[in-house]
Amino acid sequence: MSDIILGIGDYGASKSPGSIVKTYALGSCVAVTMYDPGLRVAGMVHIALPESKLNPAKGVDCPGYFADLGVPLLFEEMVRMGCQRKGRGLVVKMLGGASVMAGNDTFNIGKRNILAVKKILWSLGMGPTAEDVGANHSRTVSLYVDTGLVTVSCPGRGQWQI
Amino acid sequence: MEPRICCENIREAIEKLPMLSPNVSRLLQVMSDEDYELDDIVNIVKYDAVLTAKVLKTVNSPVFGLLNPVTSLDRAISYLGKWMVVSIILSDNTGDLFSQPLEGYEGQQNALWRHDLFAAFSCSEVARLAKQNFETELAFTAGLLHDIGKFVFAPFWKQAAPEALKRIAEGSIADYLAAERALAGMDHAQIGYEMAKHWEFPQPLQQAILYHHTPQNAPEEYRALAFAAHIGDMCAMMAGCDTGNDGMQYPLDDGYAEYFDVTSNSLAQILIEAEAQFKKAISSLSFEEEVD
Ligand SMILES: [Fe+2]
Ligand SMILES: [Fe+2]
Repeated sequence: MSDIILGIGDYGASKSPGSIVKTYALGSCVAVTMYDPGLRVAGMVHIALPESKLNPAKGVDCPGYFADLGVPLLFEEMVRMGCQRKGRGLVVKMLGGASVMAGNDTFNIGKRNILAVKKILWSLGMGPTAEDVGANHSRTVSLYVDTGLVTVSCPGRGQWQI
Repeated sequence: MEPRICCENIREAIEKLPMLSPNVSRLLQVMSDEDYELDDIVNIVKYDAVLTAKVLKTVNSPVFGLLNPVTSLDRAISYLGKWMVVSIILSDNTGDLFSQPLEGYEGQQNALWRHDLFAAFSCSEVARLAKQNFETELAFTAGLLHDIGKFVFAPFWKQAAPEALKRIAEGSIADYLAAERALAGMDHAQIGYEMAKHWEFPQPLQQAILYHHTPQNAPEEYRALAFAAHIGDMCAMMAGCDTGNDGMQYPLDDGYAEYFDVTSNSLAQILIEAEAQFKKAISSLSFEEEVD
């Protein structure tokens, strides 16, 4: 199978028919998916923290770990696979960014990730057309290359799509 | 409301647990001694051929990219560091405690091990941020053992878990720990504490296990350790290393601020560091081969 499984800080795109791009258990991390319906190119990045200035060395090592570097890199990857540089026609979705219960703001990394992703998407002239973010549960996300369908699952909560 | 699960059955299951291997008991004892040395750990490993082989196999795994194979135990242990060695001893001597799928929590095989390992590395990072005198050595082990109660509890919990999630979602029960208590009469922290007593863990570890979700209630002398375990647990869940359907369904006790200097910035560093260590541990301890 040519499925792509992404760990924390990984990004990748695929145009192999029948394959999926998938990431497990997002927690406070955020996944951004990009899909070009015309070319059937599907990409995703699994972001752990909002900004690379938190730890520049890690940013060099694993840029996908941070929203400010990971989202543009995913976009570059989509362009490399043939998508338009303007980002026109790309379907962008955002998932994850959960938090523990009644957490104070210090621990709300999920919220900071969501805001950072939105900000960087805007600066690229894009915005999420759908999102499934926040709350107190983890999410496993699959993006289907053939259809652009995004499914989400969580233990005890079944599976749904956005 | 009447609990659905009989506490007596849970207690019976704890009584029936096999004793821990002498190596684990010795290790926990050694580590709760304030001024133990790396040598004390070497001494546990060196008389156990299987353990020695496992330590050498780990240090020579491709993750560490060593040019020349390490064949001496001393060198292997000083290279791997004591946390990795503690992890090897515990994973190797606790049967399926950490690896068995957690039925009631819908946790996959090895989910408890992954969760506890991530929590443990986070705990030792948290320990560095202590505001006052803090016995940092036990933080890692407390993180590793904090959720052992789930091992005994999971099979009993299966029948009640869907109800628990429903009640939390509709707001009639505040969080997962409260749900366990309401529906089973006991929660996994209390069960873990009973197991720790059964196995005669050192007192600080017993207390950290009992209070890892309610650190503010811990006796003063163990409170900082309970908070370290609490924060480490939260970090693991935030990083997606949870144990199943209870992931992130617990409240944060922000009393940690009195003991640890955790800011949004230092929290980010904790997560980065813990994840790096976790990744190395997971791929070098090679238990992951059994998954998938
Ligand atoms: Fe717990
Ligand atoms: Fe936990």
